[in-house]
Amino acid sequence: MRNIKLLLRQHVGAPCAAIVKAGDKVEKGTLIATPTGLGANIFSSVYGVVEEVTEDAIIIKPDAEQPDKFIPIKKSENKLDMVKEAGIVGMGGAGFPTGVKLGADLDGGYILVNAAECEPGLKHNIKQLEEQAEKTVRGVEYCMEISNASKGIFAIKKKNAKAISAVKAAIKDKPNISIHLLPDIYPMGEERAVVRECLDILLDPTQLPSAAKANVLNAETILRVAEAIEDQKPCIYKNISVLGKLNGGTEARCFMDMPVGISVEDLIEMAGGIDGEYGEIIMGGPFTGKACNLEDPTTKTTGGVIVTIPFPDLHGAKVGLLLCGCGGNEERMRDICAKMNGVVVSVTQCKQAMAAKPGGPLKCENPGNCPGQIAKVMEMKRAGAEYLIIGNCSDCSNTVTTCGTLKMGLKLFHQTDHVMRTIGHPLYRKLTVSKSVDQDLSEF
Amino acid sequence: MSISAEYAQAHKNDPAVLCCRAEAGVVLSEHNLEDPAIFDDLVESGLLNLEGAVTIGQALGATLTKTADSLTPLTADLLEGMKAAEAEAAPAVEEAAPVAVAAPAAAANAGVLKIHIDEGKGIDLEIPVGVMGGAAAPAAAVVAAPAAAEAAAVVAGEEKVVRSLIRKHYNITEVKRGPETKIEGTTLYIREGIEAECAASQELVLDFKLDIVTPAEYNTYSETIMDVQPIATKEGDDELGYGTTRVLDGVVMMVTGVDEDGVQVGEFGSSEGILEENIMWGRPGCPEKGEIFIKSFAVIKAKTNMTRPGPLAIHTATDIITQEIRVAMKKLDDSLVVATEQFDQVRRPGKKKVVICKEIMGQGAMHDNLLLPMEPVGILGGKPNVDLGNVPIVCSPLEVLDGAVHALTCIGPASKEMSRHYWREPLVLECLHDPEIDLCGVVFVGSPQINGEKFYVSRRLGQTVEAMDVDGAFITTEGFGNNHVDFASHHEQIGQRGIPVVGMSFCAVQGALVVGNKYMTHMVDNNKSEAGIENEVLGCNTLCAEDAVRALAMLKAQMAGEPVKAPEKKWNANVKSTNIELIEAARGAKIELVENEQSLPMSAKRKEKYN
Repeated sequence: MRNIKLLLRQHVGAPCAAIVKAGDKVEKGTLIATPTGLGANIFSSVYGVVEEVTEDAIIIKPDAEQPDKFIPIKKSENKLDMVKEAGIVGMGGAGFPTGVKLGADLDGGYILVNAAECEPGLKHNIKQLEEQAEKTVRGVEYCMEISNASKGIFAIKKKNAKAISAVKAAIKDKPNISIHLLPDIYPMGEERAVVRECLDILLDPTQLPSAAKANVLNAETILRVAEAIEDQKPCIYKNISVLGKLNGGTEARCFMDMPVGISVEDLIEMAGGIDGEYGEIIMGGPFTGKACNLEDPTTKTTGGVIVTIPFPDLHGAKVGLLLCGCGGNEERMRDICAKMNGVVVSVTQCKQAMAAKPGGPLKCENPGNCPGQIAKVMEMKRAGAEYLIIGNCSDCSNTVTTCGTLKMGLKLFHQTDHVMRTIGHPLYRKLTVSKSVDQDLSEF
Repeated sequence: MSISAEYAQAHKNDPAVLCCRAEAGVVLSEHNLEDPAIFDDLVESGLLNLEGAVTIGQALGATLTKTADSLTPLTADLLEGMKAAEAEAAPAVEEAAPVAVAAPAAAANAGVLKIHIDEGKGIDLEIPVGVMGGAAAPAAAVVAAPAAAEAAAVVAGEEKVVRSLIRKHYNITEVKRGPETKIEGTTLYIREGIEAECAASQELVLDFKLDIVTPAEYNTYSETIMDVQPIATKEGDDELGYGTTRVLDGVVMMVTGVDEDGVQVGEFGSSEGILEENIMWGRPGCPEKGEIFIKSFAVIKAKTNMTRPGPLAIHTATDIITQEIRVAMKKLDDSLVVATEQFDQVRRPGKKKVVICKEIMGQGAMHDNLLLPMEPVGILGGKPNVDLGNVPIVCSPLEVLDGAVHALTCIGPASKEMSRHYWREPLVLECLHDPEIDLCGVVFVGSPQINGEKFYVSRRLGQTVEAMDVDGAFITTEGFGNNHVDFASHHEQIGQRGIPVVGMSFCAVQGALVVGNKYMTHMVDNNKSEAGIENEVLGCNTLCAEDAVRALAMLKAQMAGEPVKAPEKKWNANVKSTNIELIEAARGAKIELVENEQSLPMSAKRKEKYN
């Protein structure tokens, strides 16, 4: 294993302050950095020696031997304190400190388990539910207790039959916990989409789920809560799907309990190594991930590492970008356009995309429900675009395909195309499945 | 893109088309429907066929029976529980809409539409549906029922004459040069050698000539006409807008100039050329055919044509002559008065209170106006609206008619409001004389160069109009392009206060609005040109009586809550004739329309433009 690099900022909030120095011996579970403001404790995820403490990271040279044993966190009657102590953050990608999130009193409301695993290609959330449903359900109960919720709901796509069966079995005698089935559509895992689907409340992009008396937590986050409370285990591991142009096939390898801070290169090596030429390596999912380098470290929020096939060459063709709340930001879209050798002639923005804060990331006012895109497509066409690059959800991609490609003759790329082609997943074009799902669970 | 509930209601008679995929069983709402504003483009390019599409009003609340994709026109076979086509009687004019809008072209020549209005005087209108079908253009919507419900007005208070203005007319039949400036009978003498003083008075003026142009010389060449001014003076100590004004008939001042390099002092077109080919006779701001022009011609320092001092120097030098004539006029005996006019500023409490907001150019360089000089259209005492920060200035209608604006503006000649335009401002006159409304004042607001300043003055205008407690407002502008930014903002500022607004501008083809907002629903296009362009014919596309009549009818309709049809996608000259016919029918009197450039001898320049 190469060096482990633990970023001092792998959560929403301020960077942590290192409390170790070069030369210090550390074990799994040694507290190495503490919050300076909003944040969460950071523990060493390996046995080894601190090699360097930089401005933004602690670099640890791991020992050859890595026993499973770890230094337990302090036992407490107060479960919330244990979650805080364990340094858990939102592991679906957001990275909000869970100890802070669970501190809100939901007044008899809901814990919503985000098990949508919405990013296509990623599999580790579902694998976790298939294998550790009972412990995850206990995690839900702890979260409900801590934040005074009276109900827990698993939001999961109907296609994941095995995971649904496992959860169904685990909640058999728990009338307070139920399952809500989701259609196989992006972005059902968007936080406000989960609230809308489960509770039929459409939140404004500026509102938090607490406005609907709910907390949305990723399935893995909930499992780590159970581990902290039952096993006194600090947040040192992360489940990661590694997929793409790899020796041995493009299917996702789910690496469970990887030490936080392990390099992308180590993960790819474990997965078989890159198979020949490739386009880019993405950290995160195809929609919301970003291009990364082999030496980049993973964090508590890393869900995927994807190696893609090479990009097509547009030979300087004129491209229009359609920005929205579901796909990459403008920087990412321009990055993809540049990698395809296209020239951006027009940048438009979906009418439903808005920044909750000025300059903040775009959020969709009604995730997964298209507001119509024809006017935007016409605008880009008028600007001279021959190609469009979009990062839209399933529904909006369908609209752009229908009006832009099929009717106006524009050529379309979705920002996930190179990933979808790599893993043999259908491209985001025409929508063929229904947005509504029968909630009957008897078949599982 | 999908539309709002409010927008859907406003467009309930437009065709219903899915904006994105909708699944079978969905109860359709505005979220499923595409904005009808983009349909014309789509139909034109063959992407959309609206044949058989039901209206938005019919589709809302209906259930979709088959999953369908974006840009699918909703036809009856796709819907269940569809509402019947609306046939409610209430605002009668809307009955016309399903016919006219749902099938815009096809409905033509389909008989007669009868409209009955219950309120007010119970006016019956008969409108050929074919005409309705071809109605409306960008910046020109159809007046549905002009002057309709107004009759049911609030209890009318006493009419009150606030003040009066007397104009004494003196006829001039000949202009000659002589040893002194004087008027003898109907002959005006201008002192020989005055040109040298005019030139000497202004550092920037390098050369100054004076021409007397008689009708026999209308076929001679002139540089671009920068301004046309009445020759008028106040009597005794009377102030502008009050008391008595003396004015010469049969003669006008005409200001022209170029810079040292021969560049015309003007922007976005100029009217240099043979006079009779480039002047739209009889426009409010233009000479009348038969008038004598006292025409100045100044050469100013190179490159000062696009600065503020350059054009002002030409105007100031010319005014030395005008001022000397004014002094001579003050000595005239009343026996020479050929006609007397009286303008009463009447307030009509209880009637709909309206204000006229005139956007004037204030970008700097020649785009400036001297406001409220001491003499009608004089220089002395006038304040440049640029220096005043272009903020709204409230004038009485009589001040406007008494030469409150000395126009330095040199925008495209066809839409420029010259000094004489304000002297004969048709909208002010129309409102002043209309017994059904209460004109409370005229607000001038400059159009600054910088957008931030545009919004600054526009917000002041909104606040000013709010404080006036009016029932309706006009917004007029000259030129097109940059000034439409503030023009739009003025609509928003006034409209968002719940005040009905009618906008007036040259738009047509070349001057199509560059910006817009939801308050710009009632617009009158001042265009007269055949092709809808800035044709560089002096005054051609300025606000005339026929425009004022339409605007007033439109504002009355709006204040009475009568619907006005939405514009067509492209400029269509028929909109105006339709509206004129509607108003004529309601008034029972013919409205004479002015001629356009086609009545003038064709200039070489125009030949090029129209080919």
